[in-house]
Parts: sequence; structure tokens; C-alpha cells
Amino acid sequence: MEEVDYLCMRCGNEYRGPFDKLVPVERSCPKCNSNSIRRNKKKKKNPTASA
Amino acid sequence: MMDVGRHSKINLLTYSEIENIGGYIGNFQVTVRKKARYVDEKECNACAECEKVCPVVAADEFQEGFSSRKAIYMPFPQAVPSVYILDDKDCLGHNPIACGKCADVCEKNCIDFDMKDEIINLNVGAVITATGMDVYDPTEMDEYGYTQYENVVTSMEFERLISAGGPTEGHFIRPTDRKTPKRIAFIQCVGSRSNSPIGNPYCSNICCMNTIKDSLLLMDHYPGTEITVFYIDIRAFGKGFEDLFQRSKQAGVKYIRGLPGEIFEDPKTKNLTMLVEDTVANSVTDFEFDLVVLSVGVIPRRDSDLIQRLLTLSRTTDGFFMESHPKLKPVDAPTGGVFLAGCAESPKDVKDSVTQASAAAARAQILLNAGKINVEAITSQVLTDFCTGCQVCVKVCPFHAITGGDAKLKIPVEVVEAACQGCGTCAAECNFDALLMKHFEDEQIMSQIDAITGENAADKVVAFACNWCSYGGADLAGLSRMQYPTSQRVIKTMCSGRVDSKFVLHAFENGAPIVLVSGCHYADCHYIDANRWTVKRVDKLWDKMERLGIRPERLQLEWISAAEGQKWANTMKDLEKMREQVTQEEIEHAMSVLKEDREKAEAKKKKKAEKKTPVKEIPIEASA
Amino acid sequence: MKNKMRIGVFVCECGSNIAGSLDCEAVRDYAAGLPDVVCSVVNKYTCAEPGQQEIQKYIKEYDLNRVVVASCSPRMHEPTFRNCVAEAGLNPYLMDMANIREHCSWAHLDNWDGATEKAKDIVKVSVARTRYLRPQEETQLPVIKEVLVVGGGVAGIQASLDLADAGYQVNLVEKEASIGGLMAALDKTYPTMDCSI
Repeated sequence: MEEVDYLCMRCGNEYRGPFDKLVPVERSCPKCNSNSIRRNKKKKKNPTASA
Repeated sequence: MMDVGRHSKINLLTYSEIENIGGYIGNFQVTVRKKARYVDEKECNACAECEKVCPVVAADEFQEGFSSRKAIYMPFPQAVPSVYILDDKDCLGHNPIACGKCADVCEKNCIDFDMKDEIINLNVGAVITATGMDVYDPTEMDEYGYTQYENVVTSMEFERLISAGGPTEGHFIRPTDRKTPKRIAFIQCVGSRSNSPIGNPYCSNICCMNTIKDSLLLMDHYPGTEITVFYIDIRAFGKGFEDLFQRSKQAGVKYIRGLPGEIFEDPKTKNLTMLVEDTVANSVTDFEFDLVVLSVGVIPRRDSDLIQRLLTLSRTTDGFFMESHPKLKPVDAPTGGVFLAGCAESPKDVKDSVTQASAAAARAQILLNAGKINVEAITSQVLTDFCTGCQVCVKVCPFHAITGGDAKLKIPVEVVEAACQGCGTCAAECNFDALLMKHFEDEQIMSQIDAITGENAADKVVAFACNWCSYGGADLAGLSRMQYPTSQRVIKTMCSGRVDSKFVLHAFENGAPIVLVSGCHYADCHYIDANRWTVKRVDKLWDKMERLGIRPERLQLEWISAAEGQKWANTMKDLEKMREQVTQEEIEHAMSVLKEDREKAEAKKKKKAEKKTPVKEIPIEASA
Repeated sequence: MKNKMRIGVFVCECGSNIAGSLDCEAVRDYAAGLPDVVCSVVNKYTCAEPGQQEIQKYIKEYDLNRVVVASCSPRMHEPTFRNCVAEAGLNPYLMDMANIREHCSWAHLDNWDGATEKAKDIVKVSVARTRYLRPQEETQLPVIKEVLVVGGGVAGIQASLDLADAGYQVNLVEKEASIGGLMAALDKTYPTMDCSI
């Protein structure tokens, strides 16, 4: 499965997680368990930027 | 069991699995896969000739692997249906045809190597979930040496060793030297009431009484056996249970409060030794036993996920299926027309299983007797004057309840009311407000937002919660008296899929500091996958908020099941902290940019609409 | 709007379950001041017979066309109060529940003022919502007189036999080659110490 960057809107944690367009997977933050998870597209454009 | 096989009203489908369940209360469509057993069920008369000639020897699962069976076999002597089965994984003849001995001797020609799985379609009004339980596997608990020491057995294995129908025909022996053990230990709570990551925190309910029963069986068959039971608490709470416990003690069974830390095997005698602290006598004693029985706990069936998904059930934190209400609706599943019976709901003994099964049957009969069911008037309706035929709703409806529509020919879509389940995703996704979600209309929800944000908006969190899961989670938090800040105001929708972007934006425009959208976990969504659209919408909203210079963190998303009262309470505490950090400036900025953005969009729409004929709205009247 | 809105608010004490952690009288008085609320009442147990009769009495007396019941979760008593208002001739969908128990009194046991203010707000939101409610007609669907029982262990067997004996067609689906489940592997079962099969 494809892996993409995610950003937790609760605790600010940035992580990589699975992404499947056809069978969406439930997103949850590995650090705080929140489901307020956003695709971190900024990171994609600038892969060298660090958290 | 025999009665089931004989009953004219029971269609018994063994060696069969549910592939799919669709529909709703009163009208479920079920697809069953009846797996090929390679023996004609109607013809086989269990003459056993096939078994005699079969050259394959395999471990007998029913006897816990203590004895063997053939590749063609009877599951156990009293099996219903009383028919042989051929295990295609063990059989030589199946592929490639090399053996075929059984088929040669079968006089009735009922062995068919080419038998195929059969798909059976059923239509039913109610479903009873009696999927049972699995038994805890203590292999991982190194301290007890199960699988490492042969004379450490589980209580399930003990059942076979003592059974007259077991591998030893009821002669109770220990595995290493096949002698009848004289000193036997039972260890309670194996895998239960444990905080370890490989155990379960709950009490498995049946193991205390099972051990007491086992001790009495042993004392009856082999008087003079020295039996010691190591326990945390003996829970003999049912009718007649205390009596059995006392009988066991009077028969000479020793009960010691305390569990062994570790079991050691004497390499020569294969006896087992352990050091146990008796927490009643306050003493530490060395024990030696010939056999140790691990009284293993009960766990949810390992394949619970499948049935959970098919019937959109929920599970409590222990993994068993959740009932509609823990006290008042203990056999109803949250899904209408689905009932729970036996260990699928929680660990229970035979009597309790029978009781619950009869209750489930009675509950189902209420439904079947009525013959008809009132369906809540919560369905979608097309406002044909507004519909452009763009078919967005057709795409998002999880139940394919919206059909037709043509944007070019300006033909509006149609809602098939019987198929519509009322999630409201269509109304949320429609860009033209052309779908009216009955009882959860835009005006109704907007009025709730207005009322919340009318006064002291900055002190409140606007929380959208779906009827089935998150609203129930909030209920459970209250029911469990979990305390959290008073800032949250709940707006109930049937599904999080109903939460229109404009609701969220409206709340922010009115000065709400934090908005929460909450719904069911993916596996629990009561509208198949409607909450996937919630995620897409929230994703878009975060993008929009960022574009407008509003901190996207102010919009939160959470999946909270009806069993997760704690998660609801914790989320409310988190959100309150986040609310305190939202500044008045931020709130006002969001209010002004959102107002501007909305007015721009409205002006654009108005301009477009001026070219067309005006549309009619349905007025709300005070009196029905 | 054709006729004037006439909203009735019924605040439930639920014994001390609600009244023990917030000021029900204050909530009632607050609701009485909301636009179009023509009566606002406190009951000890709104779901009990006297409580329901009171709602029906007020519906007739004040010719109410919207009802707000401020009590427990709608997941608990929505059907009760829908039936109650329907008996008094009001369309059941014109009743709304304000959950001031699970979502308020029980979640804020030691915050009398905070819980009271929140309860007022919850009632206000419900009153606002009711103004936009429309009467709805429920549809009736037929029930297929057949049952699916998933699993042929002791519970599945018992449920199947009960339903079959009651005359309904039962489809019992078992994963294994025989019914019996885990029970079949047990030698004897407590408390009767007899055979399980």
C-alpha cells in the first residue's frame, strides 16, 4: 500500500501512514490516537523540510 | 442437538459461512457459502466403510489432537448432521486423483471429489447472532510452560481426557507416562483478570465453576486424588453454585488463594513444581504435582471482525459484541432486527446461554409476529425545482437509493424511498440544496447552530455527533459518570455524513472557537461507508480554512463508538484545552473572512439564478 | 407561517439524577422566557405515567404544536415521548428531546452553576430546532417471517428450536461440519453435572 505524510491536527505529530484511494483506511495518530488527521501535502512538495 | 436435525422448520446449513448480508430490519438478504464436504449429505448413512479404508491419518481436532482421525471422518460421534466429511487438505484422492479408496467402498456412491461450494441466497426478517467464543491460548504465557511441558494441559484438553467419549475412553491419564495422576493442580484465571498485554482484563465468568465441576468429577471417578486449586477469588455466584463449591471442599479439594509465579518440570519424573504464596495463610509453600490444568479464559471469536462488518455491530472494549443497552436491551444489537445470544455478547455458561437464546428468540418473535415494521420517516426528498441533475448524490449514496438525473437535459434525480436509510450524505454533498433530509433539514440544524452561538459563542464547542456511535458514546460517558468540562453542545445527526460543510462554516462564522465532527469508526458506520465522505469533506474544509487564514486545528474530527465513553470524555477535555487557546482576535477574523466568502458565493449564485425562473420552497407550518 | 408557534417545555428531574446536579426550576423559568414557549413545567419523572399524562394535558390545554422534553437521551426515551404526544393528537415528529441527563447532569456532577447554564442552553437549542420541525408520516414495511441464526452452539441451537417451535422458518448456519459448538466438547456441565449433548 502507498505511504503518505500525515499531520495530526490534535497534537501536531507528523508521521507516515498507509493511504488507499479505493479502500480508505481509518486514520489515527500513532502518538495521541486522535482521528483528526490531515494529509500533510506541504511536506510532499518540500521533502527536505523537517518538523 | 438431534431435535435441530429433525425439525421440519429448521433449514440446517453446516460447513457453511455467511458471505454477505444486505438489507435492513424485516428484510435482510443473506448470501451463504455452503462449502463442499465431498460427501452427499442426504445420501450418507454413516456406515463408516469409507473411514476404514482411508489411508490418511490426521490429528483429531475434536479430541484436542490427543488422538487421530482419517481424512474422511465423522466430526464426533453425536455429530448433527450425522454425515461424514472429507477434508480436502488431508485427502490424497482429491487432487490429483491418486487414491479414491473411499469412493470405491461407498455403496451409496455419495462421495464426490468434484463437489463444488454452493451459494445459497436467503431472505429473512431477523438475524440472531450466536457466533460463540474462542478459548484463550496460554502458549504465550511462558511462566506456566504450556506446550513446553507435556503435563501442563488446558481445561479444554482436560475435558477430553476425562470424557468417556474421549481419546482414552474416560481413563484419566497424564500425557507423559499414561498413568493416572494422583496429585493435580488447577490454576485459575489463566488469561483472565490480567493486566498483562497477553492476557485479558475481564473475568471469563465460567472458569471457577468449571474447575469446581472438574474437581468433583475427579473425586467421583478417582477418590483419593489430591486436588489443589490456585485462585484469585472463587466466583460461585449462580443458583446452586455455592452448594457445588462446598461439596468440592468437603470432598477434600484444597483451595489456595494465590497463583504460582512459575512452573518447573522435573526432567526425570516429568512432575511439575511451583512456589506459591498463600495470601490467606500468609505463607510460601513448595508444591509438586503430576499434572497441572490451566483453567483458561474465554475470548471473543477470532473471526468476529467479519460478522461485525456484515451486520454493522459494535464491540465493547473487551471485544465481545455490544448490546443495545447494558441493562434494558441486553439481547438487542444496535442494528435493528439483529439479536445477540450466548457468548457472542459476553462469556457465559450453558444456562445463561440458553436463557439469552430464548430471550433473543422471543425478541425476534415480537418482530415476526407483528409482520410489519414502522420505519422512521427519516429519508431524503428531492426538491425538483433546485436539482440540476448533476448526480453528485447518486455517486455518494451508500445504498444506491438515488437514481436518474441528467445535467444536460435538466432532469432531476429520484430517491427510492424504500432503499433510503436516511444518512443524509446526499443532502450534505448537494451543492444546490436540492435534497431535503427529513427531520434533519438544513434549517433545523442551522437553527441549532444559531441557538448555540447566539450568546457567549466563544465559550462553547460545537460538537456534531452521529446517532449510532458518537452520540451513544457521549451517553455512555454520562452513564458512567465520567466528568468533563461543560463547554460542549451536541448537535445530533443520523450520520456524520450529514454534516454539511456549510454547517461547520456557519458555526465558525457565528463565532464558535472549536467545531467537532464525530461519527462511527470505519468498521461501525451504520450507513456502509457514508463516513468516508465525512473525511473528504473535513479534508476540504481544512484546506479552505487554511486558505482563508483560519487555523485548521479549530476543526476536529473524531471516531467515537457507542462503547467509547472514555474517548468521548477525553476528547471533550482535549477540546476544552484547545478552546481556551483560541483568541478573540482569531474568532473575529474567522467571522469576518467567512462572512465575506459566503456573501461573495451568494452573490455569484444569485446572478446565475436571475437568469432562471424562481424556485419554490416548502413552507413550514406551525400546525400539522 | 400560518398559525402561531405554541411550544411546551417539560423539564424532568429524573428523581435526583438531573435535579441533584442542576437547578431544574431555573431551567424551567429560563425556558418560559424563550420566544413562543407558552408553558414550561418541571416533572419528577416525565417518563412515568403522571409525567406523560401531564404532557398530554398541556398539549390539549395550551393547544401546543411543538413539545420539548428536557430529560434523558433520545436513545432511551424518544419512542416513549413520541407515542405520548401522538396519543394527544400531535404528530410525533414535532417533539424534540433535550438531553440534560447523559450529556449534562451526569457529566458535571459537581458543577451546579455550570451544569445549570449548560442545561438552559441545551433547552434553548432544542426549542430553536422544534420551530423548524415538520410533521412526518412513518412508512410501514413488511417483515419476512423467516430467521437467520448464525452459529450452531448451545445458544444458536436453543434460539433455533424456540423459533422453529413457534412456527417460523429458521435457517441455522454453522461454520463447522456439525452443530454443537464448544459445548459438544465438554464432558459434563455444571451445575447439574450431566452430559452436555
